[in-house]
Amino acid sequence: MDSIVSDEFLRQITAIGQVDVLVSVPTADNRHTIEHAVNAVQIGLAKYFPRERTALMNVDAQSRDGTPEIVREAAVRDFQSYLAPTPLRSSPIITASCHPSLGQAGALRLTLTAADLLRAKACAIVSPDVASLTPEWIDALLRPIYREGLDQLTPIYQRHRFAGLLVRNILAPVVGAVYGYEIEEPAPDEISFSGVLACHLLAQDVWQESFMRSGALMWLTTTALAGNFRVGQSFLGPKVFAARHFSPSLAETMQSAVGALFKSMEEHQAFWRQRTSSQAVPLFGFPVDVEIGSAHLNRKKMFEMFRSGANAISSILAEILSSPTLDAVLQAANTADDHCYFSDELWTKVVYEFAASYHRGVMNRDHLLQALIPVYRGRISSYLWENRGAHLEELRKRREVLHLEFERMKPYLIEKWFGET
Amino acid sequence: MHHSLSMPETTLNARITYDDPLWFKDAVLYELHVRSFQDSDGDGIGDFRGLIERLGYLADLGVNILWLLPFYPSPLKDDGYDISNFTDIHPSYGTLDDFRKFLEEAHRRRLYVLTELVLNHTSDQHPWFQQARASRDNPLRNYYVWSDDREKYPGARIIFTDTEASNWAWDPISKQYYWHRFFSHQPDLNYDNPEVLEEIWRVMKFWLDLGVDAFRLDAVPYLIERAGTNCENLPETHAVLRTLRSRLERSYPGRFLLAEANQWPTDVRAYFGDGNECHVAFHFPLMPRIFMSVRLEDRKPIVEIMERTPAIPENCQWATFLRNHDELTLEMVTDVERDYLYDEYANDRMMRLNVGIRRRLSPLLENDRRRVELLNGILLSFPGSPVIYYGDEIGMGDNVYLGDRNGVRTPMQWSGGWNAGFSTADPEKLCMPIVSNAVYGYQAVNVESQRRSLHSLLSWTTRIIRIRKSTRVFSRGTLEFLKPQNHHVLAYVRQYRRDIVLAVNNLSSCAQAVELDLSQFHGLIPIEMFGGNPFPRIDQRPYLLTLGPYQFFWFRLRQI
Repeated sequence: MDSIVSDEFLRQITAIGQVDVLVSVPTADNRHTIEHAVNAVQIGLAKYFPRERTALMNVDAQSRDGTPEIVREAAVRDFQSYLAPTPLRSSPIITASCHPSLGQAGALRLTLTAADLLRAKACAIVSPDVASLTPEWIDALLRPIYREGLDQLTPIYQRHRFAGLLVRNILAPVVGAVYGYEIEEPAPDEISFSGVLACHLLAQDVWQESFMRSGALMWLTTTALAGNFRVGQSFLGPKVFAARHFSPSLAETMQSAVGALFKSMEEHQAFWRQRTSSQAVPLFGFPVDVEIGSAHLNRKKMFEMFRSGANAISSILAEILSSPTLDAVLQAANTADDHCYFSDELWTKVVYEFAASYHRGVMNRDHLLQALIPVYRGRISSYLWENRGAHLEELRKRREVLHLEFERMKPYLIEKWFGET
Repeated sequence: MHHSLSMPETTLNARITYDDPLWFKDAVLYELHVRSFQDSDGDGIGDFRGLIERLGYLADLGVNILWLLPFYPSPLKDDGYDISNFTDIHPSYGTLDDFRKFLEEAHRRRLYVLTELVLNHTSDQHPWFQQARASRDNPLRNYYVWSDDREKYPGARIIFTDTEASNWAWDPISKQYYWHRFFSHQPDLNYDNPEVLEEIWRVMKFWLDLGVDAFRLDAVPYLIERAGTNCENLPETHAVLRTLRSRLERSYPGRFLLAEANQWPTDVRAYFGDGNECHVAFHFPLMPRIFMSVRLEDRKPIVEIMERTPAIPENCQWATFLRNHDELTLEMVTDVERDYLYDEYANDRMMRLNVGIRRRLSPLLENDRRRVELLNGILLSFPGSPVIYYGDEIGMGDNVYLGDRNGVRTPMQWSGGWNAGFSTADPEKLCMPIVSNAVYGYQAVNVESQRRSLHSLLSWTTRIIRIRKSTRVFSRGTLEFLKPQNHHVLAYVRQYRRDIVLAVNNLSSCAQAVELDLSQFHGLIPIEMFGGNPFPRIDQRPYLLTLGPYQFFWFRLRQI
C-alpha cells in the first residue's frame, strides 16, 4: 500500500514523539536564504516558546543546491545575543523530501502528517526566502493558535500600496463575501493552524486533485472557514523577499490562487450558500500603516494588454460572461483614452460570472482562468488610475467599498452559480 | 592557643579496614538525621541507641556509608549546623558512649560512618564566640572575622536571601560587626588565624580517633574572605584543605573528606586539587537537571551538564544525589531554568525556600512510582557515589508547612503503628510531627508494610542497590553518551576494564522507540541486569529498543 510517509520520515517522527509546536519550512533550491529562515525560526521558538516541545521541519522538493544539508546543519550558536534564552530542550529538525510535481500539496500534506503524528498543538508554515522574516513572526503566527485557542491564522503584511493586487481585487473580496469572513491574505505563504485543524485537513479527500499542486494554501483557508474553525489574523509587519530565483507569472498565480478559490467554492457550496453576511475575525499584533518597497507596474501597458486581449478572446469571454457584462467589459477595453474605468460593480459581476462558469464547466477550466487574465489587467489598470494619488488609508477604505460590493452582489453569484433567480 | 579536648575512652574498632584506599568510590551513601530516625527512650526525639536498633535495616538495604546530620550540642537554630561544642553529643541524642557503641555496631555490619564537619562557622553560643565577643582584646577575638565597616567584602552574595539582609551582623557587646555567610547566629571562623585551623584539626582527630570514617566538609567554599572577590573558592581556602588532607592521609589513611561546595563543576573541580584536597565532592548542578530532564522529557539538560563536568583525579569521586536534608537547591541553574523548575515542581509558594524547593523525592514526582524508579535508576547508574536520603527508599512524603527545611526532616516511618514505630512518646511530644496524610502518611507508607512485599519501593530499592554494587563499572567506569535521534531517551555506556554496561532511560511519559548505534559493540549480547534475560545480539545495524513510559534498562554487554 502506498504511503506518503517514508521509513526515514517515520523514523524521525518516532524519535521526536510529541511536540507542542511545529514550524515547517518548505524549500526548493533555497540555499542562499534558508539559513536565515531556519535561524529565525530557531530563535523564535527559543524566545517565545522556551518551555514547549518544539520541532522545525523542512520539506524539500528535491533541491539540487544542498538546501537540506544547510537545514540539517543550521544551528544558533549564541541565543543570548538574540535576547533569547538557550533552549531548555533539544531542538530537533525533521527533514523530509517530496516530489516537485506535487507542489504545495506535497509539502502541506507532509507537514500536516507530521503535525498529526507528533500531536502538535500549533503548527506554522513559513517561506524560505523572505528577507524580512524575524523570530517575532514565529510568535505572531503561533501564539494565537497555541495560547488563544484559534485554529487558523493568516498574516497581514505591511506592503507597498499596490502590492498584492490579485489578493485585494479577487481573493480577499470573494472570501469575505462568499465565506463571510474578512481575511486580508487568504492564500499566504505564511500560515498557521491548530493540530485539530491539521487532522481535519488531512482527512479531506482532495490530495490527488490537480488544483492542490499550487492552490493548497488557498484551499486550507477556505476549508478552515467552511469547517467553522476559529480563524484569525496576525500582523507580521513588512514582507520583503530575498532575491527570488523563481517568481510565478500572473498566469500561474491565476491558475493556482483563483483556480483553488473557485474549486474550493465548489467544495464548500453548501456552506457558503447559507452565509448572508460577513464578519471580522480576531486580529493580533500591532498594525503599522507605513508603505514600504516599490511596485513596478506599467499601467498603460497593462491597459493595452487588456484592450488587445479582451478583443482577441471576446468569443471565449462570451461563453463565460453574460452579454451585459461582456459588453461593459469590451466598452471599457475600447475606450478612447489610455485608461479605462472598471467599476466595482462590473468587476464583481465579472468575478462572479467567471466563478459560476468555472463551476458549470462551460469550458476547460484552465482556459477559463487564462481568459480572466486580460480582464483582470483591465481592472487593475483602472484601479491604478483611480488610486494613483491615494494614501494607504484611502486605499483601505476603497477596499472596504469593494468588499461591500462583493457582499451586496452575493445573491447575483448564487443566481449564477445555482441557476436560481 | 590550645584547648584540651576530652579524649575518647576507646579507639577505632578494628573490624573496619580500608584495604582499598579508594573504597569510598564504590559506596552507596545513606543520609539520615539521628533525631528523626528512631527514638529509643520515649522522649520523642531520635537518638543513637535508636539508630543502633535500625542498623540491621540499613545493612539489609545495602548502603555502605551512613552520613549523619549534625548531632553535636547546639541551640538548634539551624538544625544542628549551629554547633556550640564540636566534640560532644547533643544530650537529646545520647552520650559519647552511645556514639561509640553506635560506631562499633555500624562497623560490625560493615557500615562506614560519615559525620558533619561544620568548619566554616560555629553557633554564636559556642564558647569560642562567647569569649571572642567578650572584649576586643580577648585572646579568642581573632577566631572570628570582625569589622567596623559593614560594607566590607561587597562582592560576597547573601546565601539565605529569605532571612538575611547582610553578611555582617552587629555585636552589641563588643560593638563591632562580625562576618557570617549563613544565619547571623552562625559567625564565620577566621581561617586567616592559624590557631583556628589547629582547633579544627583537633576536632577532626577527636572523631577520627573514635572511629569516624569520613567527614562532610560543610560550606567549604566560604572559609576565607578577601577584598575585591566574591569570597568563594579562594586559593587560601584550598590551602586550608590541602593542609587538612595531608594530615589526614598521614595519620588516618583510608579516611576521606567530602566537600559540600554548591558550585559549578568547573569550580568544584578545584576542591579535588591534584588529588590532594577533598576525596569526594557533591555534584550539585546535576541534581536539578535530572528533575528538569524528566519534566521536559528531554535528555538535553543532563547531557549538557555532564559534558561540562571536567575530569577529576583518579583517586577522587563525585557524590551524586536526588534529594537531601536541604531544599532542592536551584542556585546552579539559569534564571529561565529556575523559573521552569519552580513552576513545575513548586507551584505552591510554601514549597519554595531560599533559592530552592523544600520537598522530598516522591512528592516532587507526584508519587509516581515509575518516575521515582527512573530517577533512582539514573542516579545509581551515573558516575559518582550516590546518596539516598532517609525515607526516600520507601517514598516518604513531606510537610511543607513545618517551616525552614523541617518538612523534609520528619520522623522515619517504620510501621503503621503508634507514631509510625518511631517513638513511644505521646504524639504531641515528638520532635517533629509525623506525616499522616492519606497519601504519604505512615499508615500508607512505612517500612514494615513494604518489607512484606517483593514489589514495594523498598524491595525494589534494595534490589537496585545490590545490582549497582555487583560491578564496579557504575562506580568507577567511564561514561559515554549515545545520542540517538530520540531526545526523550537518555542512553549511555559505562565501561570499566572489560565490564561494559549500557543504560537506556525513557524520560517520557509515553512509550518510545529508539535506535542506538552500538556498532562498536558488534557481536556482544546485552543481558538485562534486573531479570538476567539475554536480548538480541548487537550487530552493525542500529539497535532498536522500545521502552514503556519512564522505563529504563541496564544491560551488561557480554561476549558469550
